[in-house]
Amino acid sequence: MPGGGRCPDCGSTELVEDSHYSQSQLVCSDCGCVVTEGVLTTTFSDEGNLREVTYSRSTGENEQVSRSQQRGLRRVRDLCRVLQLPATFEDTAVAYYQQAHRHAGIRAARLQKKEVLVGCCVLVTCRQHNWPLTMGTVCTLLYADLDVFAGTYMQIVKLLGLDVPSLCLADLVKTYCSSFKLFQASPSVPAKYVEDKEKLLSRTLQLVELADETWLVTGRHPLPVITAATFLAWQSLQPSARLTCSLARFCKLADVDLPCPAPSRLQELLAVLLRMAEQLAWLQVLGLDRRSVVKHIGDLLQHRRTLVRKAFRDGTAEQEAGEKELQGRGQGPGQGNEEVAASSSLRLPEGKRPASPALLLPPCMLKPPKRICPPPPISTVTGDEDISDSEIEQYLRTPQEVRDFQKAQAATGLSNPP
Amino acid sequence: MEEEQTYLELYLDQCVAQDALAPPGSPLLSPVVPDEVYIPNSAHPETVFNSHLEEVKETSGPFSSVDLSFLPDELTQENKDQNIIRSKHEIEENCKTQSQQSRLSLPREQDIGLGLISNSSFSNSHSHLYPGDADSVQPSLEKPDSMPLASIAPMTPMTPVSECSGIVPQLQNIVSTVNLACKLDLKKIALHAKNAEYNPKRFAAVIMRIREPRTTALIFSSGKMVCTGAKSEEQSRLAARKYARVVQKLGFPARFLDFKIQNMVGSCDVRFAIRLEGLVLTHQQFSSYEPELFPGLIYRMVKPRVVLLIFVSGKVVLTGAKERSEIYEAFENIYPILKGFKKA
Repeated sequence: MPGGGRCPDCGSTELVEDSHYSQSQLVCSDCGCVVTEGVLTTTFSDEGNLREVTYSRSTGENEQVSRSQQRGLRRVRDLCRVLQLPATFEDTAVAYYQQAHRHAGIRAARLQKKEVLVGCCVLVTCRQHNWPLTMGTVCTLLYADLDVFAGTYMQIVKLLGLDVPSLCLADLVKTYCSSFKLFQASPSVPAKYVEDKEKLLSRTLQLVELADETWLVTGRHPLPVITAATFLAWQSLQPSARLTCSLARFCKLADVDLPCPAPSRLQELLAVLLRMAEQLAWLQVLGLDRRSVVKHIGDLLQHRRTLVRKAFRDGTAEQEAGEKELQGRGQGPGQGNEEVAASSSLRLPEGKRPASPALLLPPCMLKPPKRICPPPPISTVTGDEDISDSEIEQYLRTPQEVRDFQKAQAATGLSNPP
Repeated sequence: MEEEQTYLELYLDQCVAQDALAPPGSPLLSPVVPDEVYIPNSAHPETVFNSHLEEVKETSGPFSSVDLSFLPDELTQENKDQNIIRSKHEIEENCKTQSQQSRLSLPREQDIGLGLISNSSFSNSHSHLYPGDADSVQPSLEKPDSMPLASIAPMTPMTPVSECSGIVPQLQNIVSTVNLACKLDLKKIALHAKNAEYNPKRFAAVIMRIREPRTTALIFSSGKMVCTGAKSEEQSRLAARKYARVVQKLGFPARFLDFKIQNMVGSCDVRFAIRLEGLVLTHQQFSSYEPELFPGLIYRMVKPRVVLLIFVSGKVVLTGAKERSEIYEAFENIYPILKGFKKA
């Protein structure tokens, strides 16, 4: 066994750690001499043979810490290693786990909860260091239910009084996009589908920022928005080849799970882009729909700030001066837009006004309400009114009904009332 | 006399016009009251009233020589109230004796009424005014001491319109408990009552429902009962009494002890979209916003102790209150904060 230390009897270096009735001992494997035993009391010679052991692996710690806590701490370290987190994260997460274990409620919790607590500690550590780890990832790694995770997470944040910053969207985009397997050709990924990582990342970031500005991110799970944005960015970088690929197929060939809300986020994002496209005169005449607008995403993103401002104002009509300014700028991808732009510049002064700008609101506010709640009638109940006997009698069974009911219960063999 | 009467009318008209604009008029007395009497915390900005006050100062000489040294340096709330009440009596007495002031008696009482029921910031201002008035009214009966009273007559409304949200949260659910103070046989209750459910394997209580008020009750064998679903405190109490009556009619000696409202839930709509990410950044110590778990922001207000669920659509749910006023207060506290996040 490496680590220095020789057997005082035979001088061999083959020292083995063994335990005799739970007392750890260093024993020479050649002659069987016990070199050191235990750590409570040591003689001078013993100490000479002692090897340096980290406190967490020494028996000192084990005596103070309960088995379940030891197990939990090991799980925390394992999880940090699996996620390839920096070393400092491990220490912080361990500290949080120990802190949590000091509370009686946590010590008495079920094993399932303690397991989930491991994930919570790691998640809090990552969030505080702006490391973009999602709860979904942690739950998948722990084979835990998101509901149980949610409950434990909220409880532990409140219990320990932790200050947990929000998930950093930009970092999440970078890590999530990097996990898409589209950057090299492979049997499942044809050459025309391969994309440059940097270009994809920058365009996805711009699309996610656009979604954030137009209320598509607030209150929603961030990941489906990023999936939809990545898909649109990827499609728009080579629309001719990629328009035929659907979102589901894209996720399959990129080897990424398709989150359930992603298709609806995609539709919302396309609707926003269409509204922005209406503000560009040369795109207006093309009569774009949700498929064809993808070809012009590059343009739209280039002028996104102006377009969002123009496309989404509260009720005021479009100013023609601004339109003409945009007309002069930029060109669309070579699809004969130059002649289109020229012709439209002639048409516009003739009075073709664009549609009035839409309201910039979250989608939940734009949908009509499912049911209109009528205001409740003003009740003049005082709480001390007389309660008539007849009103109470209506809730009681007559003796005959009771007998019938009992017979029915006996017949069906059920002891519970329906 | 005549010119002073017309001046008074003019002044009153002006003050009525300024009503909606000016904040509480504690600086009214500031040029007049000696410094040690002016309470430091009522530091309201000088308002339009000051201009009126200049006029008042010029025309009414005896007003400026009012001796207010009898006022204590620090007026506590009780002192202020006492002063107001004392001065009210004195003013009322004088009202009866002075016919020329009869015109003003009504606005004066209104003001006193306003002063009595207004909040502390108002009572600060009023406390200055009334004792002063009492003093000024007493010595000179013929002099138009109506001046100082006139200057306070048209007061600003109690809650200035700019601060009030104008939205009232609607109560959606009240949870209350009551002790029927007798052991109950749940099987017998489930057998004899039509509106009862009892699954001992699933839950150790009878679930009973009544139609009016539409509520649900959990009745335990110990005699304790929980009543949920009512839309107001009175309805909850009435419903709990009806359940107790049902239990009584089933033959148990049920009583109605310790009725207590345990929780009230209200909801409302501020009608504008809210940037929840911004709100969680500025109010981190109170807010919890995890879009991966729940679409709304959970705001734990400390005073009053109410939890608010704030959604991006502007809908707000308030819960955890024991009193209706706590819900209203919580909403009035959160409304200015939310308005700050109205635009992106």
